[in-house]
Order: sequence, then structure tokens, then C-alpha cells
Amino acid sequence: MTRTVSRDDPRVLLESPATIYDAIPPYPPRSEREAEFYALRDGEMLVNLGPQHPSTHGVLRVVLKIDGEQVVDLDPVLGYLHRGIEKLAENADYHQAICYTDPLEYVSSLFNELAPVMAFEKLVEIEVPRRAEYIRILSCELLRIASHGLFTGWLALDLGGYAPILYGFIERDEIVEMLAALTGQRMLFNYMRIGGVNGDLNHEFMSRLGEWMSRAAREIAANQTLLNENEIFVRRTRGLGVIDRETALRLCLTGPALRATGVPYDIRRAHPYSVYPELEFDIPTRDEGDSYARYLLRLDEVKQSLRIIDQCLEQMPDGPCMAKIPRLIRPRPGRAFAAIESPRGQYACYAISDGTDQPFRFRIHDPSFVNLQSVGVLVPGNLIADTMAIMASLDPIMGGVDK
Amino acid sequence: MSVVARSWGHLTPAGKVVVPLLGIVLALGLVAFLGIVTGILPAIGDTVVLTGRRNVGIVRFLVAATAALLASVPIAFINIYLEMKLLAWIALRRGPNRVGPFGTLQSVAHGFKVLAKEDFTPTGADRAVFTIAPVVTFLSVVLAFMVVPFAPGIVGVDMNIAVLFFFAIGGLTVVGLLAGGWASFNKYSLLGGLRSAAQIISYEIPLTLSVVGVVMLAGTMSLHGIVEAQAGHFWNWFVFQQPLGFLVFFLAGTAEGNRTPFDLTEADSEIVAGFATEYSGMRYGFFYFAEYVNLFILSAVTAILFFGGWSAPVEIHQLAAWLGVAVPSFAIDPSQLGIGLLFLLALGPALGTVLCAIPVALLRTDWSLRRALAVGFVLFNVVAGGLVIAWAYLASEVVAGLFWFLGKTFFFVFVFVWMRATLPRVRIDQLMGFAWKWLLPASLFNIFATAAAIVLVNR
Repeated sequence: MTRTVSRDDPRVLLESPATIYDAIPPYPPRSEREAEFYALRDGEMLVNLGPQHPSTHGVLRVVLKIDGEQVVDLDPVLGYLHRGIEKLAENADYHQAICYTDPLEYVSSLFNELAPVMAFEKLVEIEVPRRAEYIRILSCELLRIASHGLFTGWLALDLGGYAPILYGFIERDEIVEMLAALTGQRMLFNYMRIGGVNGDLNHEFMSRLGEWMSRAAREIAANQTLLNENEIFVRRTRGLGVIDRETALRLCLTGPALRATGVPYDIRRAHPYSVYPELEFDIPTRDEGDSYARYLLRLDEVKQSLRIIDQCLEQMPDGPCMAKIPRLIRPRPGRAFAAIESPRGQYACYAISDGTDQPFRFRIHDPSFVNLQSVGVLVPGNLIADTMAIMASLDPIMGGVDK
Repeated sequence: MSVVARSWGHLTPAGKVVVPLLGIVLALGLVAFLGIVTGILPAIGDTVVLTGRRNVGIVRFLVAATAALLASVPIAFINIYLEMKLLAWIALRRGPNRVGPFGTLQSVAHGFKVLAKEDFTPTGADRAVFTIAPVVTFLSVVLAFMVVPFAPGIVGVDMNIAVLFFFAIGGLTVVGLLAGGWASFNKYSLLGGLRSAAQIISYEIPLTLSVVGVVMLAGTMSLHGIVEAQAGHFWNWFVFQQPLGFLVFFLAGTAEGNRTPFDLTEADSEIVAGFATEYSGMRYGFFYFAEYVNLFILSAVTAILFFGGWSAPVEIHQLAAWLGVAVPSFAIDPSQLGIGLLFLLALGPALGTVLCAIPVALLRTDWSLRRALAVGFVLFNVVAGGLVIAWAYLASEVVAGLFWFLGKTFFFVFVFVWMRATLPRVRIDQLMGFAWKWLLPASLFNIFATAAAIVLVNR
């Protein structure tokens, strides 16, 4: 029996080996931009960077148009990690929706939970106990340090440096073990609850934290010396991927990528939430706007996070860590928006209630996605090797980009 | 047939090796017996010996090539193990610790792994070139390995133009890399191949020019001669007369051997292993082997050209003369010992074991006599081994030479691994700029300065 295959079937393409690996899609261009991008001039070549590539931090695919070693143009192709998390959350009740958000930015899961929880709390109009607020901030800032430590390692790994990633993982592992003592999980914590957190501070967490805090500043500073004044590292990142203030604002960049251009915009100060108004910390900024500035800025942020943790431990009030909440929540119809400062920038949640026990609309605004769009401005004109350095300095997490 | 198959199935894995071997040995024995009886084998043997005598050069070359091929495998294994272990320690990990004592057989396991893997050729690849490319790379490295002298007399081929041969053959690796990158039908591989062509050819120039100073000082291109020119004390080593030459050679050698921070040809975070992207199985293994043998050769040649090769930092006889002590002569002629040799071999270990066990038994009274004897036996072996090695070091200049040569070489292997663990990778424009703007003028200046110094001193 012979089966007729239509021309659009990908199996047709397998017949001619020359087209298997071609980055040009087999269909006619759908837009002007696509037609322009796939029209190759003399000496130009298309290369698929990803979806399986060691340094795209997940399954990002970038079609690079290169002329020799130089990147002429590029076209990011997203969606390889799309899991439909927003839609899944709309089919779960308010308590269940929180745990779907965990695997979005999987290296900073607590932030993923905090924004929806805050949005839901606005919908339900409940007061969160102050102790719960402090515990939230404490655990989030710990995770911010872990995330930035890992960023350092990733940046070095994409530049070919081998050791820093392992030192970064040591740092992260200690924090993650600590949080495992607090929440019961190492990566996808599912710790935040509407009206509080899932468990009070316990002895193991506190003893681990105290022991770690006594040497954290020293160890983090020691890890940073691996790269800070490394001649090769500085020469590769300084002046690379420079983005100016206006372009950064036009592209809606947030987080370290924006603050490295000199804009002191941090949700923790600009639109304070939780107990941040009571805490004392600075918003570090830099003016250069290059990869090196983005790297140094994160190191400064780690120091500020350590300060915040210290203050949280000092000011930690007594009391319950959970408000009295019904098992099934049916908020009045309405809408709520909550934004927080995640390690990568503004992480926000927008929720609409139609009066049932499930959110009618559940939308996540993810900083990785917004920051990633700047590669179109930053990368062209640079070399292939710099593409990795620029992308790594933006620190996108594909779980958050593709949702 | 089924009987044979069933018996074969009953055999243990060791039996499956031994039984065919036995068969082969029996068959060979039969052939040898018949050959000797009929007088064919002695005739063939005479012819072979005669031909060999008439062509000593060719025979020597064949033996040397075989020895270099065979030696390259354990050297690659040792280097791979060292790299894994050192990288792990620098990154605060444990490293390989499962296969063999301290994981020393891990690289052998890796070797078996690449042998057992599927040898995959991608669709659209140029099969012939794809197959031959790793062999070219490996063979050029092994050929360069042949001229490296380990100790006085321990060298594959003692050429009077060994330095020239080394650079000429060593530069051939790029042919294999470029061919492999081109034939893989992969854009990353193509980029890697072109990068290797640009990089290795650019760095070949300062690498070769940096050695000219050494050649001028030694007055010979033979690696043997260069080592002999540095004999005596460590201040005779050329690194003190050619510091700039050494720096240029070391940096250019790093780039030539594709080592971090100049490992752009196989940059895994940029072009996904470059020329090796599409390779798997033993073809990849050849690239892998070539890289690690090359690492050893680079370290060895650095040690030979600039650090005196096999010569000790201070000659032991010289040291003894300064201190006013006579080094005892350790020349033992076994034939003079007669029956004493037998006694030494038979009674020595027993006597030594008992002697070493006495203090152990006295110190640890809670141990049984047998346990004390066992510990005493181990102690005796350590002591006797140490004595034998010390005797060999003093009595044979080959052993002493090997000791210093391998020590220096593996020190440089360590430095290369250390650099890999510490440094990020440079960019392609920085790499080329470094070669043409810094290394090339520096090596030319070095030649000029050395020549001027030689003329001034000799005047």
C-alpha cells in the first residue's frame, strides 16, 4: 500500500539531504521582515543556534545570519518550552494555581509564587501577617543570591571559563539546602500561600542560615575574585553589547539590564510592596550599559540582598505565619495586578476573577521574555562568540520566556 | 554446530578469551614445528635478517614508528586521567574515583567506550574525507612524537633536523582538522575547521621563530644536541638566556595545541565542539587521542628546548664534589655474585620482612604475628623498591634522565590543565591580533637580540 504524502509533510524534506539542515523554512515568507531575513547576500550563511545548544540556557533557538564570524542579523524563535502554564492555572482553583507557576523561572521559583499570591490576596482582600511577609522577603532574597551566583557561573561558562559555574553551584546548593529545610523542596518550592507561607521558620533552617551568614560575605567575595579582574574576562565583556538609556527604556527592559544603563528603577523602591519600605538597602546602578556592567551590578545586588537578610532576621516579628483563609476561595468579580522585582527584573501577575473558584484570566509578565528581545539590538555586528556573552549577560531563563 | 554453540554459551567471559587464544597458540605451534622441520622458517628468517641488515635505517624507523604508536595510547590515557582529576580538584569536586584505584583506569574505560560506540556518518557528509581526517591528525601527532628524546638514547629517530621536522609535521594536524570540519556537512564544524586553519597557521609562525634563538645558541637543530648544550647546572637552561623566546613559545604552543584560553576550534559553548561536532565512536577517539598526545608533546618539547630536557638541575656528581663526598660506585655485576645472587633473591625478602616486622610487632602488641608480618612485608617492599629506584637513578643515566624529563613534562601538563581550569576563552579577533601584533614582533626581536648577543660575546 502506498501512502501519498502532501508537500507540506516534513517527511518530504527528508528525501533531499541538502535541505534537512537548512534554516530556511520550506514555506513562502509570511512577512516582509521574514522575506528580508531569509534573502541571503553573497557570503552570508544561516546557522541555527539551538534549540539544542550548550549555551542558550534551555531551548532557545536563534537563527543567526552570519558573514564569516560576524553576525549580520538574527531571528529568535521561541516556544520550544511552552507548557501552557497560564491556561493550566486558569483551570485550577486559586490555591492550586500557585504551584503551576513554580517551573516558570526555575532558578528563582519563590519569586514566581510571590507575584500571583500577592495578586490573589488583592482579589480576596486579606491582610497577611507581618511575620509571613518577613519570611517571604527573607526566603526570596536568599534565592536572589543563589540565582545571581549561578548567573556568574553561566556567564563564565559561555565565555569558556570552566570553574566559576561549579563555585556558583556550591553557593546555590547551600542556599537551596537551606530552603529545602524550610519548604521541603529543593527547586520548585511551592511555599507561598494566599495569606501567608506554608510553614514557620524551623530550627534547622535557622541554624543553617546562621552558619552560612557568618561566612557568606567572605565566600561570595572570594568567588567573585575568580572573574572580576581576570584580564581575558574583562576584555571580552567590557564594551560588549552596550545598550543606552533610551533604547533600554524603549524596549521596556527591567532589572539589572536596565539598571546597568543608569536608570535606578527597582520595583522594591519604585512601587514598594510587602515590607520593603521598612528595610534599608540601596539600588546599585551603573552607567556603562555593557555586559561587564550587568555582571558587576549583579555582584552589588548580592551585597544588598545580604543586608536585607540581616535586617529581616533582626526585625522578624512574632505571630502567626498564615492568615485565616477558607479552603475554597471565591473572590468577588474584579481584577488585580501585582509586580515584584525578580532577579531578572519586573515579574508581574495579572488575574481576573469572575466570582467562581477559578481565575478567569491568569497572566504572567516575565522579565526574561522582555529582556530577551534586546538581543535583536545588541547582537548584530558582533562576533558569534559574543552572541553567547551578550545573551548570558541578560540572563534569560527559557522556562519563563516560553511559559 | 549446535554442540559448539552450546559449549561456547557455557563458557565464562574469561574462558571465551582463553579458548580461542589456546587454539591460535596451538595452530601457530604446529606451523612453527612444520616450518622448522622442513627448513622453510630458518630460510625465511635468514632472508629477513639479511634484508634487515642491509636496510638498518628502515627497520629502525619501523620499530620506532610502532613504538611511538604504541606509546601514544598510554600517554594519552595518563593525560586524560590527569586532566579529569586536576580539573575536578580545582573545581572542588572529587573527580574520577570508581574505575581502578583512585579512578586511574577511568580513561581506559573511556577508551573502551569510544570503541563500543556507534561510528556514525551524517547524511550528506563526504564519507572518504570524513573517515580519513581523524587518522591524518592522529598520525601527524604520532610522527612528531617520534623525534622527542626521553633520555640519552631513548628516542624514536634521532634526526639532525628534529626541530624543523617537529614543526613541519606538527603543522600537518591542521589538515586533518580542516578536512574533518569540511567533510562533516555541518556549519558549526565548518566554522571550527576554518578557525583551526586560521589559528594554527597564524601561530605556527611565532612558534617556529621563537625557537630560532635556541637553535642559534645550541648550534644544532637536533633535540639531542640542544639538550646536551644545556647539560650541567640549571642556570645553563635556555629559559634563562631566552626568557622572551620561552614566553612566545609557550603561548604559541598553547594555541597550536588548541588548549584553553586559545581553544577556539572546539569552543563547546560557541560552535559546539567545532570540527568534532559530527564525530562519534573511534573517529572522535582519534581526535581526542591526538589532542592529548599533542599536549604531552608540547610539554615535552618545552622541557627539552628551554628546561634542559633530561638533565638534572644539579648533577649529583657535581653536588658530591662540592660537598666533598664521593658518590659510591653502584655498578653491580650480577655474574660476579655467583651463588650470592641466589641467596640475595631468596633470603633477602624473607630476612627483610622479618626485620621490618620486628618494630611493627613491638609497637603494636595487640596485633597478631601474622598481621605484623604482612605489614612488615609491605614495608620491606616499599624500602626495597625505593632502594632499587635510588640505585637505578645513580647507576643509569637513562633512569635519571627519564625521571627528570617526565617530571618536567608533567609539570607543564599540569600548567596547561591549570590554565584550562582558570581562564575563559579569548575571542577570534583578539586571538589573531595577539599572534600578529605581539607574538610575531616579539619573536623577531628575540632572534635579533640573540644574534647580536652571540656576535658581541664571540668577538
